[in-house]
Amino acid sequence: MPSDLDSLVQALTEGERERSQGIVADLVGGGVSPFEIITGGVERAMAALDKKCTAEQFNLLEIMLAGRAVMAVIRQLFPEDAALPSPRASVVVAVLQGDIHDIGKAILKILLAGNRFRVIDCGRDTPVARVVAAVADSGSAAVCVSGLISSVIPQVQGLKPALARAGMGHVHVLAGGAALKQCAAATLNVDYVGQTAFDAVAYLSSAVESCHPEH
Amino acid sequence: MFAHAAIVNGRSVEEYLSSGAVAADCQIEAHARYGYDAVFAVLDLTLEVGAVGGEIQSRPGLYPTVLRAPYSPDDDFTRLPIPDPTSAGRMPSVLEMAGRLRAALGDHALVVSLVQGPMTLAVQLLGMEKALYLAADEPDRFLQLLDYATAVSKTFGLAQLATGAHVVLVFEPAACPEVVPLGLFREMIGPRLSALFAAFKRTGAMGSWLHIAGRCAPILPRYAALGAHIGNFDYCVDPQELLSALGESRLCVDGNVKPLSFVTDGPADIEREAHRLLQIFDGRGGFILSSGCEIPPESREANVAALVRAAKAWKRPAP
Repeated sequence: MPSDLDSLVQALTEGERERSQGIVADLVGGGVSPFEIITGGVERAMAALDKKCTAEQFNLLEIMLAGRAVMAVIRQLFPEDAALPSPRASVVVAVLQGDIHDIGKAILKILLAGNRFRVIDCGRDTPVARVVAAVADSGSAAVCVSGLISSVIPQVQGLKPALARAGMGHVHVLAGGAALKQCAAATLNVDYVGQTAFDAVAYLSSAVESCHPEH
Repeated sequence: MFAHAAIVNGRSVEEYLSSGAVAADCQIEAHARYGYDAVFAVLDLTLEVGAVGGEIQSRPGLYPTVLRAPYSPDDDFTRLPIPDPTSAGRMPSVLEMAGRLRAALGDHALVVSLVQGPMTLAVQLLGMEKALYLAADEPDRFLQLLDYATAVSKTFGLAQLATGAHVVLVFEPAACPEVVPLGLFREMIGPRLSALFAAFKRTGAMGSWLHIAGRCAPILPRYAALGAHIGNFDYCVDPQELLSALGESRLCVDGNVKPLSFVTDGPADIEREAHRLLQIFDGRGGFILSSGCEIPPESREANVAALVRAAKAWKRPAP
């Protein structure tokens, strides 16, 4: 007989939004804390999806359905984003100037939130200067940029130098998306290029752990 | 190759996109310069959605993109109008382009037209998230949307064939297994692709070409059964594994030099990759050497030339 948290993991990974919310309501009613639900349910569901992705069984529809269920549960538990329990780090996400395709960014946001990262979304077609300002304002540990078209590459290449000029050369810069993932990190002048959004989350998790092992 | 045909001839992307006549001239000149085997009666990927009222954003040096989808999940998809390709939006420019290309090149080069696949157009008509959620939440209504998208693409494709195109390329990246489950492809998208290909064949198309970017290996061996004659495979598909998966299939495949290599790498890299592909498919035949997707507009001319050179050299008999 699976525990209620196991049931929640299953419902989330299957993209069952209403069933997930019902289980969460029962868990809260039974005295389980929101933090336990996030770490014992949502994060485990994210790990299960990650494993599925690694096995090349990934498809966007299933991830979006799971993501929709996860976001519904997070909103149910924490109506305000700022109330997320013990965020591991803040991360700025953006699609840089010259590109307006943001489905990759939307997926990444869901995965980051489900893994307890605080996300600052700079939107699409965003100038590098606005991203740098958002990093400074939020004290973010990383910037993730997604790009579908190759013409956005010069913007990506200019991001890390712009951060360094603003005294934030330590901030991790990650890239992904159909066009950017064809490039090496050195070509894009970034720290990491992810083939999937899960890769980016894994890189950030590792980077955060090495900086803050208590997390 | 779309707007690279403009860049290599000293024209801007804007000039290319603004006129079917100019775009045809660019394609003809690029064909003469490089000596490849097919020209594309293609402006960009927003023709259908623009023709039904989607808001299209144009920016200097870039292809236009869909800024706002024309429909919402609440619309009645059984009552939407099918745009007339001779008058709707920028469709007439593409018809002019196809006609000019055929008139200029006759049967010396393949004139390829392009329509959006049902799934890809459905995504453009609603937006990616709304379309995918509709597929999951209200599959019957999603099928109505797919049927509408199929009708739009069919009408546009038939008009392009009538004005001179030899084959129709169905551009369907949203049907990739990375986007939708295999079951959805098999049950919902496949039958509509079959209907498109059958309609094109009845009208005298020389063939049908299915282009699904991304990791399409799990579905590519099914293309022939759907009625496609050519199937594209992207750079992320292992050609050796694809060769095995194809088995006895008579599908002609095209691919799969990494598109960005034409921008970032050099001619020696392109030739090396071309030789590798030609070697792999040498015994099978049914192979068209090409980029895995579009050759980007900003590609280096020497890289495109290297691809063509590699193919032509391979055709020569060994001494």
